[in-house]
Amino acid sequence: MSSSEPQGSRQRDSDRKTRVHLSIYDRTKFILLFVFVYLVLVWASLAGNPLLSISDAFNEITRTRTWLLLLVVIEILRQMHFLVSEIVVPYHGIWQKYFQSVDFALHRLSDWTRYRLSRIIKTIIFIALLSVVLGAIYKETPVRALFLAPSALWRTLPMLGQLLFGVFFVVIQFAAMFWFLSRGGVDTYFPDDIRTRFTDVWGQDHVLNRIRENLLFLERPEEIERHGGYVPGGILLWGPPGTGKTLMAESMAGETGKPFVFVDPGAFTNMFFGVGVLKVKSLFRKLRKLALRYGGVVVFFDEADSLGNRGMAPSGGQQRADGANIPAIFGTSCHGGAYLAPSTASLLLRESFVVGGAAGGGMGGGGGMGTLQALLTELSGLKKPRGFLNRVLRRTLGMRPKNPPKYRILVVMATNMPEALDEALLRPGRIDRMYRVGYPSKAGRVRTYEGYLAKVSHSLSADEIDKLATITPYATGATIKDTINEALITAIRNGRTSITWPDVIKAKQLKELGPPEDVEYIERERHAVAVHEACHAVMAHRVRQHMAIDLATIEKGSDYLGMVASIPPDDQFTRWRTEYESDILVSLASLAGERMFFNGDNSSGVSGDLESATTIASLMEGHWGMGSTISSHASNRRFEIGSPGGAKAGSSKEPRDALGNRIEDQLSVLLKQAEKILKENRSHVLALAHALETYKTLSGEDVSAVIEGVQGSIVDGRPYRNKAFLAKIERYHKAALVAHREHQSPEVSIPVVKQVQ
Amino acid sequence: MRSRGYGAMIVATLLLTSCAHPTQKYAASKAEGVYFTVPNAWHEIPMVALNSQEAKSTAVGAAEKLALVTWQEAYSPDSKIGPKETFSLAPMNSPLAFVRVRDLFPDEINAVSYNTLRDIVQPVTDWVNNPTAKTPIYNIIDDHEVIQQGGRGVRTIYNFIESGVSQTVDQTALMAGDHAKIYVFVVRCTTTCYNKNIKEISRIANSFTVRGTK
Repeated sequence: MSSSEPQGSRQRDSDRKTRVHLSIYDRTKFILLFVFVYLVLVWASLAGNPLLSISDAFNEITRTRTWLLLLVVIEILRQMHFLVSEIVVPYHGIWQKYFQSVDFALHRLSDWTRYRLSRIIKTIIFIALLSVVLGAIYKETPVRALFLAPSALWRTLPMLGQLLFGVFFVVIQFAAMFWFLSRGGVDTYFPDDIRTRFTDVWGQDHVLNRIRENLLFLERPEEIERHGGYVPGGILLWGPPGTGKTLMAESMAGETGKPFVFVDPGAFTNMFFGVGVLKVKSLFRKLRKLALRYGGVVVFFDEADSLGNRGMAPSGGQQRADGANIPAIFGTSCHGGAYLAPSTASLLLRESFVVGGAAGGGMGGGGGMGTLQALLTELSGLKKPRGFLNRVLRRTLGMRPKNPPKYRILVVMATNMPEALDEALLRPGRIDRMYRVGYPSKAGRVRTYEGYLAKVSHSLSADEIDKLATITPYATGATIKDTINEALITAIRNGRTSITWPDVIKAKQLKELGPPEDVEYIERERHAVAVHEACHAVMAHRVRQHMAIDLATIEKGSDYLGMVASIPPDDQFTRWRTEYESDILVSLASLAGERMFFNGDNSSGVSGDLESATTIASLMEGHWGMGSTISSHASNRRFEIGSPGGAKAGSSKEPRDALGNRIEDQLSVLLKQAEKILKENRSHVLALAHALETYKTLSGEDVSAVIEGVQGSIVDGRPYRNKAFLAKIERYHKAALVAHREHQSPEVSIPVVKQVQ
Repeated sequence: MRSRGYGAMIVATLLLTSCAHPTQKYAASKAEGVYFTVPNAWHEIPMVALNSQEAKSTAVGAAEKLALVTWQEAYSPDSKIGPKETFSLAPMNSPLAFVRVRDLFPDEINAVSYNTLRDIVQPVTDWVNNPTAKTPIYNIIDDHEVIQQGGRGVRTIYNFIESGVSQTVDQTALMAGDHAKIYVFVVRCTTTCYNKNIKEISRIANSFTVRGTK
């Protein structure tokens, strides 16, 4: 013991020279126990003989249960030993040394040997105790009683059986309940049930080609395994809804001639903990059986996002933002933003929300409670040898258990929220291959239109179908089917049974814009909205070559007064300065136009347009090297350098403006340019505004027809070439302007188009 | 304080072990639920010895009766008294306590009455009801009904003179509640001996307790 030891701290046991003092309870507990046993025995004896006096009962127990006395004596001796150890240092020292030597001797044996020895000793003690107890029960010698026990056990077997039945009955209720709960949600289709083939999937040839490769592995796995490779385990089909992912999986099963197991998205949503795990296990047991029987199986998890994830949303990494998957209308801008190019719109969207693109996800709900983990393990867990014979019998005979056979299970998952999937699910070895099932190609769309049109009566030419496919770049199988159906409804409502081109266009507009709210603008406001949209449309028509106008409308929707929607005529992946400038021009056209046509007045409806224009201009100036400086604002901000300012070294020019000023300058220049273009196209703007006021909604083709003065699909643009008619329109505009200023109805009513014969 | 506690405990243990002799002998058949006590000095004539003695009997039906005996024991302070004396009616100068539990024959079950129980050692009822010339001189000292948990019957104390010697018998005979068995307890010796040991004999006869089989 060191003197540096802080006072009050308890002495280490190794530093003690004597034994630790026992509490009174520890000293007496066994004695008290024995006394208690003694009293119980006396009581039992008294109860056994009504004539027995208490003193005789005590006497009898004392006489007959000498072992109890012996135990008391041993306990007293032990306590005396402890007491001496607590007081006499040398005595304690001797014992400590003795115990040390015993420990040393014991620890020369390995831990495993000591464990086995202790197990043997425990078993012997248990058997000895058992034989003593049995001997007391049977009134035989312990050894003999031990041999009598098996026959007693045999006699009690019927009762044991009854007890076991009771236990079994309770357990079976749970087992049955869980068994029933773990059914369902899984449908098996056998090769004969599936008629779908790859030829039924239109417009996804690139994905189909990839899938074909995978099927090759399912059919001839040896090809790759012979060379040391492994068969890919799973495919994830992801992409926007309605693009044919399920159909593709179905055709996959149809092509291979293997059973197809369809897992319902709701299958893993359960009431009880553990049922999901049971479901996964029973599913994979079934899959293994089918795989062995048919040489392979395709399992398809529809809406795989329902499996959920374990919390971490995969942020960063592969950007799976789907640029095209942006609602046609977004933001609170009253005129919508659909006239922008998708990538521009995507940018604006990303700027307006903190979480960009398609990232997000968060806590997955669906499966939960170990279901996902069970699935992960089944997909690539330990491949333990299966079967009782295999595991036990072969091992008993000294044979090595056979490895499980290679089960050919192709897991296909489909989701439109790939970011909601667990990262572990997508690691190589589980779901190796991820294929984006995007919008169908134009050829695919044409094929799909043809397919669905073939089922109805129509008068559409091949050119028109081609055109239809062109103007619906984001159409999917589902939307195409819906559009054709809507067109058919329109036709039937008009008393026809054959679909015509205008029916299709109307159906398309109805599907894209939703039903109009049937709000009648007051005349001067209708004109203002029409002029606003016409400015966008004319500007887009004049300056923007990378986008085609899809439609223009002044029918009020849920969150816009009117809109001009555009679509890209072809897939383009890079964007250029001139294109962004034209986007800004189209945005600013509303402000420039309103000021021009309403004598410098302008509505608040341009706010959204200005926001878009400013955002793009800022990115051009600060990020894309499309302004007067080169350095990236993103990097500047990251390193906290600040935006470039000051004069160029060795230059006598004025210092550079701040970023905000430069953006404003750029926008001012473009606004002037927009004004100039609109001035040049004044008559076109008014003509288009008139057409919008007359027809409410125009297709892209009709917009072009009005501007160019030719026949469109629905609207005839030729009257707008007529100077006299244009003069009427101008007069109407003047009257509307006066009405706007004075808040009255215009004195001149809107000119009516005379149909050109 | 602690050591004083220890001391007390050790003393108590020693006291318990030092006087570990019962004050009397407890004869009992727990299986039959029959108990009585005799003084410590009395010696036991065990069931085996009694059975083998009874087996020697040549009387009609004796072997069948023996087969139905479930418990019998006898006690006497005189070591000379053995199985043979137990089953004879020869006068004894030392008391003898004899217990016997026997299952009844089916026809006995219907026939047994309190009088049958009284006649278990000597035909006492005959002596009273039909005295003949052969009837010995007798005197019934006490006769009363006994009701216990295991059954009901009569206790009869009487003396009779045979071969010129007066003997006293204190007998308690009970029939089980279900009429399936009888419990007999007899304490007897010569009247002189009885009167001398009357206190002890009464205590022994009073201790006879029948709880019956459970």
